[in-house]
This record gives sequence, structure tokens and C-alpha cells, in this order.
Amino acid sequence: MSEFAFYFIASCLCITAVLSVTVKDVFHSSVWLALSLLFVACLYFYLDAGFLGVIQVLVYVGGIMTLFVFAIMLTSKIGDHSIRQVNHQFWGGLMVAIALFIVLVQVVGGNPLARLHAAGSSTDLKTLGTSLVTTYALPFEYISLLLLAALVGAIVLGKVKK
Amino acid sequence: MIPLGHFVILSMFIFCIGVFGVLTQRNAIRFLISVELILNAANINLVAFNKYYGSPDGLGQIFALFVIAIAAAASVVGLVLVIAIYRLRKSVFIDDFNLLKW
Repeated sequence: MSEFAFYFIASCLCITAVLSVTVKDVFHSSVWLALSLLFVACLYFYLDAGFLGVIQVLVYVGGIMTLFVFAIMLTSKIGDHSIRQVNHQFWGGLMVAIALFIVLVQVVGGNPLARLHAAGSSTDLKTLGTSLVTTYALPFEYISLLLLAALVGAIVLGKVKK
Repeated sequence: MIPLGHFVILSMFIFCIGVFGVLTQRNAIRFLISVELILNAANINLVAFNKYYGSPDGLGQIFALFVIAIAAAASVVGLVLVIAIYRLRKSVFIDDFNLLKW
């Protein structure tokens, strides 16, 4: 049962991820991306990382996807299918991606770590929160600084100059 | 239980789709969508390794949180840059972003 759930989520994730880079319409592509991000959140719940799943839904599907939709509405014309969405190196890019995948699978398949079955103890929310403000307090503060810088940078860049 | 390798192969597949998108998309917004796929592939790996190895302080999940925050900052700045260039060139296609070429 649990195996079936994993393979179902994984195949849905693969299909939606492929669709998000191959469909013609930019808006549809962002909707497929939102779906694939939701499936990634399902994968986090499957891996006992409930907090990360909630954060994924909140930040990605709630925040970043709204930004993407706004950017698409502000820039390109919706439903304009006549413009080519891929550049002239489509087949080259496809071959590079497939070759990269084959090489990576070879590397992982030869590694004994890949056959690790026994799952360790899952991290509970209390441990996560404690280590976030004790051991990893400095990177946590840096992240807040980075987000502030991104906020200010976005306002400065997005401002219409008179 | 699923072997760890299946999670790694899934995340590699998503990563390769993202690389394919980064190499081939003309539209800058779809380029950013592909970058988000790459970052999510990395996150799947981090969370899976955290689960299978059982880090005492949840290092994998904490790094995944940091990656999500950095991805949010990156996509915000990237989308604002796209909108700013759109005002200047009336285009979102990367082929037209040749202001620094001469």
C-alpha cells in the first residue's frame, strides 16, 4: 500500500513536471508547475516531513505561483500560440538531458547506498525548531537578511522610473 | 519500504527535466519555472536522505527549508528582472535580451 502511494505520487510528479516544460501556453505551464509542486509536497508528507510539506504548499503554491501568474499576466499575451516557445537547440538540449540522466542513474545504480532500505527515525517538529534556533541560528539569520535584500531589490528594480 | 535509490532516481529525473527546460526555453518565465524544478529535485534528495539516515537534528529538513527560502528570493528577483526588461524591450524572450552584447 505504502509502495503504491509512492509510485503513484512519483509518476504524477514526473508527468506534471514534463508537461510544465513542454506545453505551449505559458499560463498552462505555470499551472502544471503548481501541480508538480503539490506532488512534491505530497512526497514530503510521505517522508514524514509534514512541516516542510506545509511550508512547500504555503511558500511555493501560495506565494511563488501567484508571483509567476502575475508576471505572466503583466508580460505576455495569454493564449498566443503562434510564438515558438523553444529555441533552436531543442534536440541538442533533449540529448544533453537524456545523457545526463543516464550517467546519473549509472552512478547511483553502482552505489550501495541506493539499496538502503531501513528508514531511520523521523525528525519531529520539536527537534527541527530547536536546532533551527540553536545550532543553525546563524544561517537562519542570514536567510532573513537575504529575504530582506530580495524584497528591497525587487522594489527598486520594479519601480517605474519617472 | 522503498529503497533510497528510487527517491534519488526520481529527483534526478526532475533535475534532468529542469536542465532540459533551462537549455531550451525561449521564454524567460518558463526558464524560471525550470529553475524551480531543479531546486525541488535537490529538496527531494535532501528530505529523503534525512529520512533514511535519521539525522539527530534534522539537518536535511533544515537545508531543504533554506533552499525553499533561497528559491523564493531568487524567483522574486528573477521575475522582477523579467518585468523590468519587458518594460524596456517589450519582449520576454531570452533571444531579445542582448543589451550587453555589441
